[in-house]
This record gives sequence, C-alpha cells and structure tokens, in this order.
Amino acid sequence: MTNISVRNDKKQAKISTFKGPGMRPENTPQPGHAKHKWRNIRWAVLLFFNFFFFASFFFDIQLLEGTLSGSRLLGFHLIDPLAAFQVVLSSKIIMVNLIIGVVTIFLFYLMFGGRSFCSWICPYHWLAELGEKIHLNLKKKKIIRNHTFDRKIRYYFYGIFLALAGITGYTVFETINPVAIISRFIVYGPSLMLLWVMVLLIFEILYSRRAWCRYFCPVGVSYQLIGLVSPLRIKWDKESCSNCKRCQSVCLIPHVLTASVNQGKADYVNSSLCTRCGLCVDICDDEALSYGVKYLDKLI
Amino acid sequence: MTEKQSKTPISRRKFLKTSTLVVTGAAIAYGAVSVPLLRSDRLRLRPPGALDENLFLASCIKCGQCLQVCPPQVIELDDISQGFGIGSPYIIPREGACILCNGLPCVLACPTGALNHDLSLGKDAEMGLAVITNPDTCLSVLGVNDLVYRLENLGKKKTSSPDQTELKEILTSLIKKLTQDEKKAWQTKFALADISDNTLLSILKQSEHADLKWIINFAGSSGQAQKACQVCLEECPIKDEKPIVFVSKTNPNTGKKHIWPSVMKTCVGCGVCEEKCPTPAASVKITPRLEWSEKQTGIQTRKENLT
Repeated sequence: MTNISVRNDKKQAKISTFKGPGMRPENTPQPGHAKHKWRNIRWAVLLFFNFFFFASFFFDIQLLEGTLSGSRLLGFHLIDPLAAFQVVLSSKIIMVNLIIGVVTIFLFYLMFGGRSFCSWICPYHWLAELGEKIHLNLKKKKIIRNHTFDRKIRYYFYGIFLALAGITGYTVFETINPVAIISRFIVYGPSLMLLWVMVLLIFEILYSRRAWCRYFCPVGVSYQLIGLVSPLRIKWDKESCSNCKRCQSVCLIPHVLTASVNQGKADYVNSSLCTRCGLCVDICDDEALSYGVKYLDKLI
Repeated sequence: MTEKQSKTPISRRKFLKTSTLVVTGAAIAYGAVSVPLLRSDRLRLRPPGALDENLFLASCIKCGQCLQVCPPQVIELDDISQGFGIGSPYIIPREGACILCNGLPCVLACPTGALNHDLSLGKDAEMGLAVITNPDTCLSVLGVNDLVYRLENLGKKKTSSPDQTELKEILTSLIKKLTQDEKKAWQTKFALADISDNTLLSILKQSEHADLKWIINFAGSSGQAQKACQVCLEECPIKDEKPIVFVSKTNPNTGKKHIWPSVMKTCVGCGVCEEKCPTPAASVKITPRLEWSEKQTGIQTRKENLT
C-alpha cells in the first residue's frame, strides 16, 4: 500500500515539476481561436472515402466496391481485420482473399498510423465527434454529467467477441458493429439497425462522452495493434512547447499526450491509442506539435 | 472534507468495476441469445454457391459485394426485422430471381468464400429446389394458356386503359409464337403494309379497352392458345437439362387426367419459375436448400415434405 502511494507521489511530483522549457513570455498575446486546418482535411478525407463507397455503387463506377467490412479498391481486396479474424474463427477456414485483404490493410495503416482509421475513415467516429460537441455543451449547462468507464473494456470486448465467434460459429459482433451498419447504410440504404446506432449516440450524448470509441469499440483495437508499430506519430518539440496544455483539452484521448506534455519524456506521442487526428496540431500556438515519422525524422 | 475526498474515488472505482461487469456480461449474453435465434430462423434463399447455412453465416463478412455485382440486382441484405442474420445476402425469387448469369459474378466477388469459389457454372449451383406448391391454381394442370390468362386478367382490371408495360410484355411473347397465317390476320385488322413484329407491337401498344377485347378473342383463337402454360420451363435458365418436365397424371381428387409439371434433379433452385409464374400467387415456389431425391418427385410427397 505504502509502495503504491510512494510511487504515485513520485509520479505526481514528476508531472507537476515539469514546465515547458519554452515558456511563453508574459507579454505575448493570449492564444487566439483554434485553426481547423487538420480537422478540415481529416473530415474531408473521411467524407470523401465514405462518399466514394456510395458513389462506386450508386453511379456504378466500380472503383471501390463493398463497405468498410470488406471491399475491393480497383479489384484489390481490402478487409477489416476484426471481421476477417471473426470469420476465420467462426468458419475455421482461411481464405487467400482474407489474407490478401488484411495484409493490404495492415500495410496501409502501418504507413498511416494505425488508429488513423478511426478519425480519418470511420463514419461512426465522425458522428461521435459531433455528438461529443453536443455532450460538452449540455455538460457546460450542467444538464448532464459525464460517466467514465474502464478503458480496458475494449480489450475485454475484443476477446469476448473473438471467443464468441469461435464458440458459436457466428460472427456475433458483426450484427451490432456500428461501423459496418453505417457503412452499409451509406452504400445500400437504411436499415432498422440504424436504431441501434442511434441508441449508442444518444447514450454518448446524454450519459458518457464518446463512449463507444473510448471504451468499447473492438474495431479500433485491431487498428490500435497496427498503431503500436506504425511510425507515423504526432511529434512534440520540447523546446518550443510553452506547456499551456491546450492540446490536452482538445485531444480525443487526452492521456496519450501525458508522456510528452506533462512529463517531458517522449518526443513522440507513442501511445497506440492516438488516432492521429491532428486536433492538437491545430490548436498548438507554439508549433510544438506536428505530424512526424518516428525513426525517419532522426535520419533526416 | 477529507471524508468526502476519500469517498468519491471509492464510489468511482465501484462504478468502474460494476459497469465493466455489466457491459461485458451484456456482450456475452447477447451472443448467447442472438445465435440460437439466428439458427432457428427460417431458411432464406441464398445466392448461388452459398455454403451450408451455418457455415455460410459463419463465413459471410456482410460486405454486400455480391449485391453490388449482381447483374439483375436481385440480392438483398438482411435486417434486424428478418432475424439476426443482419447484413447477410438473400434473394426473394418472387420479387426477382437469380438468373444464373455467366461467370457467376456474385461468387467471384465474395471475399471470404461464403459463396463457394469452386462453383463456376450456374447449372451446378445448389440453392434449393422448385416445388409445385399449388397444383390447384397451376395453369398447366388446368390446361390454360398463360398469355390468354394474362390478357384476360388485364381486361378485368377496372382502369381506363390497360397496363402498357404488362401489355407490351404479353404481346411481344404472343407475336413471337404466332404462325405466319395468324400474323396476316393482324395485318388485315390494322391495315398494315408489312407484318414485322415491331410494327405489330407499335399498333397494339396504343390499344384501348375495346381493342383489348379483340386481342383477347384473337389470341384465344390462335394456335398458341391451345397450348397449356409452360412458363416455368420456358423461362428456366437451365436450357439443356430441362429441370421441369410435363407428365400426364390423374388428379387424385377429380379422377381426371391432367398434364402436371414435375421437377427433376437438374433444378438448382434459382427461382426464375417462381418469379415468372403467371398465377396471382406463384403455383411453384422455391424451397431453399431442399435436396432432390428420387422419392420426392411426386407432387403430393413434395407438398407433404414442405409442411
């Protein structure tokens, strides 16, 4: 017990003692409004890809056929790793197409940063971001209170649903997967399962801030595993940081910045949970945060 | 103050613990409840090449690529209203049947092999089997011609002018089946210079109800009208193997001899016969996943087999 408290105290001390070396001088103007450069680019990419799925079918362009569960880009298979994993476990068959599709996705997100899928592609994430804005507004007016869950639930979910796929012989998670449901809605039109997505969104708005993405989504976990090794990360420049911590106030997963901004230990946001959304890059007035490629930056 | 401070984290920790248990428990419960429900659900007609139902449901990734490449656009995706097979593809043959297109693009599109890639020819598919579910309404059993039947039905409708698309469809088929002499009779009626199928059709398309009566009378008097309906066989995409044969059989109820359609082993269950059957409710229906065996060829046993 004492050991833990000592360790906690040390941690606390470390966090509180660190002050950004590049403290902003007293007389500089207060930070202005946030730029929205990366957010706008990101939303444009997200909407473009989802529209591309829709247009490929609706206008019969046949460039990107399928949905986010599985698709073909110019005839080349792309398959959601979690869905593929479930199919293999439930059917006990490994198809070459599945391997091709998952490896392609793996290589792609290895280049572009793992959970970048969440913030740059996933249509549910986009709705959740809008929901979060409503949530924060309501919270400000003290109409609602935020409830946090254990972030580890996502890993339990990942395990549970993979186990369920193996035991029951059915891809159970795919029946409630909001990403797939919305993606199918975009391409093939509405289904009653959208009600489930609505329930999730209302739950997030009224009860727990961005709960699905933060605590539950196992789809994100599979991309998170890619993010563990992906070198595309947010770079933090110790020298120019004035330690205002506004990045943490806008970050979708604030604790990923702790090692850098609070503790001054890491030059990169190394947490695999980081979605590379760029909100911190946008808000930083010191230009201390930027997109970088770990290992490669050093070489140059 | 200190009491309050120490209280909050404990209640929060408690909430974290209980909520984790509740949420993970709910996930497991959902799996335990949904899967048996899924299994007990009625059989649906799957696209060609579908693996055994359970293995198919296990392999299908619900991406809908089969739907996207389907030339006749007959594949649909399940919703929660249909049970827990959410997102898996199925076909309602009465609304649009699989035509077993060349190359089976749906099978090729399937990324997981839920539609078995070993299948390359439509005639080797095993989707189900056609069953004559309603021999009492079957035009073939009644000895009624399908075109005359459809024309008469069209005349019965109380609209100002007959449904033009339906009429065009009927007349196109009728014209194709007329003898040369019969075509000449039409030429005289409408004072046409030539008797190509298209000119006949263009005149007939403008027909009003009065003309329809004439057409019905004419069609009834043509040689074609003496032939009983064989639409199921004519429309069947499997041409050479003749999955439906018409055999003479005594109706056990009336004691009269009739021509009965009988489904043979070569039927793959694509459902075109069900889609094209001219009776208001299809007299022939596809039973998904039903396998053919020698014993089942009798219509009565098939009917029993269904119920």
